[in-house]
Amino acid sequence: MTPVIEARALKKHFGATRAVDSVSFTVAPGRIVGLIGPNGAGKTTVLKAILGLTRFDGSLQVLGRNPDSQRDDLMQDVCFIADVAVLPKWLRVHNALDFVAGVHPRFDRARAEEFLRKTDIRLTSRVHELSKGMVTQLHLALILAIDARLLVLDEPTLGLDLLFRRQFYDTLLNDYFDKERTILLTTHQVEEIEHLLTDVIFINRGHIILDSAVEDLAGRYIQVTVAADRLAALRELRPFYEREIFGRVALYFEGRSPAELGAAGGPHAELRTPSISDLFVARMQGSAQ
Amino acid sequence: MTTADTNVSSPERPLTDAPRASATLARERALTTLQVLIRREFWEHRALWMAPLVTSVLLIACAFPAHIDFSDFTRASSDGRFRDIAWFAALQWGLTTLQFLIAAIVVNFYLLDCLFAERKDRSILFWKSLPASDGATVLSKLLVAQAVVPLGVYLLSIPTALLFSLVWMVRASLGHLPAAVAMWDTVAWLKVEVIVLFTGVVAALWYVPLSAYLLLVSAWARRSVFLWATLPPVLAIVLEHVAFGTRYVWSLIAYRTGGIFDYVHIQKIIEGTILSAGSGHPISLGAASAELARAFGNIDLWIGLAVGAALTYAAARIRRYRDDT
Repeated sequence: MTPVIEARALKKHFGATRAVDSVSFTVAPGRIVGLIGPNGAGKTTVLKAILGLTRFDGSLQVLGRNPDSQRDDLMQDVCFIADVAVLPKWLRVHNALDFVAGVHPRFDRARAEEFLRKTDIRLTSRVHELSKGMVTQLHLALILAIDARLLVLDEPTLGLDLLFRRQFYDTLLNDYFDKERTILLTTHQVEEIEHLLTDVIFINRGHIILDSAVEDLAGRYIQVTVAADRLAALRELRPFYEREIFGRVALYFEGRSPAELGAAGGPHAELRTPSISDLFVARMQGSAQ
Repeated sequence: MTTADTNVSSPERPLTDAPRASATLARERALTTLQVLIRREFWEHRALWMAPLVTSVLLIACAFPAHIDFSDFTRASSDGRFRDIAWFAALQWGLTTLQFLIAAIVVNFYLLDCLFAERKDRSILFWKSLPASDGATVLSKLLVAQAVVPLGVYLLSIPTALLFSLVWMVRASLGHLPAAVAMWDTVAWLKVEVIVLFTGVVAALWYVPLSAYLLLVSAWARRSVFLWATLPPVLAIVLEHVAFGTRYVWSLIAYRTGGIFDYVHIQKIIEGTILSAGSGHPISLGAASAELARAFGNIDLWIGLAVGAALTYAAARIRRYRDDT
């Protein structure tokens, strides 16, 4: 297996601030990886390093190439949407198609046009005449018609309403993603994408605090919800985070067996795999405590 | 993480390509990319084509009411027929020069804006998401300024001058203008066109370092590109004069602005081929061309091109690594 992305001790500092502090991770082909973290965690810096947009220390290989020294070559196989606001206002839709068709050897213009036909976007419109949702659709139409092997999305749905956000991810999943392709994305709205991720990487203050396949989370993390009287017994098992929900307490454990937790929690304890967003909050708060 | 095994090299690009075929393919790709990059500039900076068009239309419109006294320019010749030809040639030269001057102003603002605007509106992140290298992108902008726009203006100047003369001829035939003003002389016209073309080529090459400097400022400045482009040279001139009482910076800038034209004796060429076109002491087209071709023997032209190449490279490097989006 050749990894799509292989980062070893990736570092980037701005003056005295360490935006990314020795981050290592691997992304395999055919995965949809969520890079999740609070603002200023270093997500965008990691993405920029992967895309060759910023310099870094440490070793980084993307599709077998160094994004710093082999960026021009790499961009044949990598695509990204930085965020929806970056399509220039003066650009006409048909000119955007002309441009991408001209510079990208693997752009399928017919496919982009077919996608656009399903929207209200007219080919003669300029970007500034389109609504924010339509600009995203246009950007998506351009990117999805490119046969790239890695797609990087940095907060792609920022500022869009729910309908467009849902549509965006549905299109991505149904019309684009396949076993040959890899998607790496960051977002604030974790709960909206957690059903589509195959892997999650949590990052905080420049450090990775969780890196796991989604299917492995179930065996590793358990959330136990109990009444207050069971707290003492469960706390013995060292939860890494707890919070109160409607008078009951949810405790989050890593690496404990369900049997062990069930025994400590008593007959009324609810055991389940935490959602990615719950786990994210638990991990972030936990690492802050 | 688990995964299916996937080969790194993509199926679209077989590794067995004959090296020559793939080199040709790569060259074709690079050319297509450059073409699209150049077209892109005219979509974004509409002034690049609109300003020359509007200038042409306005100049032609000027033919209707304008009556210009050319007698001062042509004092050298006494003969009436020769004087008329000189009027005609000076008119053609003047119209074309005016179009080039206006295009030059537009181009300078374009150069200052092009790499700055894409950072300001963050569209650089879109352009950079596509496989057009920073080098090709910056080069396309320099080519627009030094080749595409000048050539376009030259081609546009021909029908403009023709239409202008046509309007005057019609007006003369109606008795609104003295017949002598509205003449046509094909030899004089061709001379003007050839000399404008030669001068244009020399100017385009001579101004490469200046244009590349503007590109560099455009790629580098975080704001106020115009001030960053103009203040440092002005300050350098003032400081040098205050500190040392010398004027080397000023001389350098002046030389880099118009030096090559003095070197090829442009004044003499204009006087000999245009203002006294057809008079007793003309310079032949061959001699004028030879004079202009001396520019290529001037080492400063080549030094300028080398400096321009270095500045363009620097602009591309800055575009590559500047991270302020």
